[in-house]
Amino acid sequence: MSDLKLKGITIVETFAEAFPMVGTRIIITAPTAEWADIAARTMTGFATSVIACGAEAGIEGKLSRKETPDGRPGVSVLLFTMDAGKLQTQLRNRAGQCVLTSPGSACFSGLEGEKTLKLGASLRFFGDGWQMSKVLGGKRYWRIPVMDGEFLCEDKVGLTKKAVGGGNLLVLGKSHGGVLAACTRAVKAMAEVPGVITPFPGGIVRSGSKVGSKYKGQIASTNDAYCPTLKAAVKTELPLSVEAVMEIVIDGLTADAISEAMYEGIHAICRGGAREGVTHITAGNYGGNLGPHHFHLKEIVG
Amino acid sequence: MSALTFELKHTPDQRLDLSSLVPAKLADLNRKQIEALQIGTTRQKLTVGDAFKLKGKDVNTLHFAGTDARCDKIGAQLSGGEIHVEGDVGAYLGTFMKSGKIAVKGSTGALAAASMAGGHIAISRNVGDQACGVGLGDTMGMKGGFVTIGGNAGGLLGERMRRGLVVVGGKAGDYAGGRMIAGTLLLKRGAGRYAGYGNRRGSLIFTEKPRSILPTYGDCGVMEFDYLRLLEQWLRGQGMSIRLGAKARRLMGDMAVLGKGEMLILA
Repeated sequence: MSDLKLKGITIVETFAEAFPMVGTRIIITAPTAEWADIAARTMTGFATSVIACGAEAGIEGKLSRKETPDGRPGVSVLLFTMDAGKLQTQLRNRAGQCVLTSPGSACFSGLEGEKTLKLGASLRFFGDGWQMSKVLGGKRYWRIPVMDGEFLCEDKVGLTKKAVGGGNLLVLGKSHGGVLAACTRAVKAMAEVPGVITPFPGGIVRSGSKVGSKYKGQIASTNDAYCPTLKAAVKTELPLSVEAVMEIVIDGLTADAISEAMYEGIHAICRGGAREGVTHITAGNYGGNLGPHHFHLKEIVG
Repeated sequence: MSALTFELKHTPDQRLDLSSLVPAKLADLNRKQIEALQIGTTRQKLTVGDAFKLKGKDVNTLHFAGTDARCDKIGAQLSGGEIHVEGDVGAYLGTFMKSGKIAVKGSTGALAAASMAGGHIAISRNVGDQACGVGLGDTMGMKGGFVTIGGNAGGLLGERMRRGLVVVGGKAGDYAGGRMIAGTLLLKRGAGRYAGYGNRRGSLIFTEKPRSILPTYGDCGVMEFDYLRLLEQWLRGQGMSIRLGAKARRLMGDMAVLGKGEMLILA
C-alpha cells in the first residue's frame, strides 16, 4: 500500500464500493426559479438513503428558460431506488404530493430510455375525467385541471438500470470545522457535475453506518471504526489525532459520472490543504465482495 | 445517391393514382419495373413511364415536379422516407400516412392527410375540403402526426380528428374541427362558420378572436396555459416561430355533445 499525498492530505489507497441502482431524471418548471426550486426541494425531501426513505433523491441542477420544454425556469431532479417497482411508487408519490401540489408547476421527463415509468400516466387520474391529453412529436402530455389553472405533466419518463449508488468519500480531519468546510466545498464542486446527486443533508453525512447491529431488527448502525470517540474501544480506522469524519455519498446515472464527481470532490477538498485540518481522504467499502462498482481513489486522482 | 424524381411530361387526360409511388413499394423495383407501374384511373391504361420522366435513384427520397391537381394519392400510406412535391397535387395527399415527411410547394385537393396516423406533412399553399378528416372507409379522421398548411383550408378541416396537430397559416373554412374527437387545430387567421361543431375533446386554438362562436360553447374566462408555452417551444423546435404566449380565453364545448373540448382564444 502506498498512499498518495495531495497538498499535505493523505489519499488512502483504497476504493469506494458502490451498487447498481435504477434511476430517473425529471424536470420541474415553475413561474419563477424560486418556485421551481421549492417544488424540487419538496420532492427530494426525506430522500437521503434507501435504508428508510424509500428512495435517494436530489437536485441535479438548475435549468435556464432555454433548457426547459416550456421555456420557464426549471430544476432537474434525480431519483434512485434499488428496483424499478419501488422507483415507480416513489416517483408517483413524490411527484403527486410535492410537484402537482406546488403552485404553477409543470413536470417533464428528463431522461430517454427504452424502459419507462409512468408520470402523468398515473397523475392524470387526479383530473377526475377533466384531464386532457396532448401529443407533441410523439410525446404525450397531460393537462390536469387544478385550482391555479392547469398542471402540465409528461406522460412517461425514461429510467436507467445503469445507475450507481453509494459512491463515497470519507474525509478525516483534526478539526470538525475544517472537515465541514472542506466537505461543503467538495459538495459544491460535485454539484457542477451532470448526472449525480449527493442525497444527504447539504450533501454530507456525519453518521456513516455499518451493516447490522447488536440489536435485533436494526439493519444498520453507527460505523464505530470511524467514530473518533470510540478509538480506544473498537478496532478503529482512525489515527489518534482525528477529531471528525464526514462522508459524501454520491448517486449517479452512470459510473463515469460518479468518477468525475469524486475527482472534483477530492480536488476541492485538497484545495484547503492540510492547514485547514483535513488529514486523510479515504472511502468506504465492504472488502469488494458486495458491490460491483469499485472507485479506486488513486486512479481517480491520477 | 440523388433523389428519385418524377417529372410530369404533360397534363394527364385522366386523374392519376400515385399511391404506388412511395418508398416502401419502390424499394425492390428497378427502373423498368417502376416505369411499368399502372397509375391510370380509367379504362385507358397509363403507366408511370407514360406520364413521368424519371431521374435519380434514391427511393427513400422522392421528388415530384410539375404535378397538377389531377395527381391524386401522393404519399398515401407513406411509412417512412421523404416526398417533395413542386406543384399542386390532387386529392388524398398522404392519406393513411404512418410516418415520414411530405413537403408540397403548392396547393392540394380534398382529403389531404385524411386518416393520417403519423409523420409530417407541410403544404405551402391551400388545402381543399376535409383536410385531416376521415379517409375513405375509415370512421375517424387524422390519428396523429403534424400538418402545416401555409395558406387557407377548405371546409371540415380536421373532421372526426382523433389526435395530432394541424397548423393553418391562413383561414380555415366552415365546420373547422367539426365532430372532432381530440387533437389540436391551431388557426392563425380564424375559421368560417360553425367552428368546433360537435367537438368532443379537441382543442381549437385561435390566435385571433373568431368572428362567430357557436352558442354551445361556455366561457371559462382568461387564464394562463403552460401547454401553450410548451406548444410554442415545440413549434420553434420544428422551425416555426408562432407567438402564442400563455394567456388565453378558454371556451368549453361543444356542450351539445361531450363538451370536454375547447377553444383557446389567445388573449
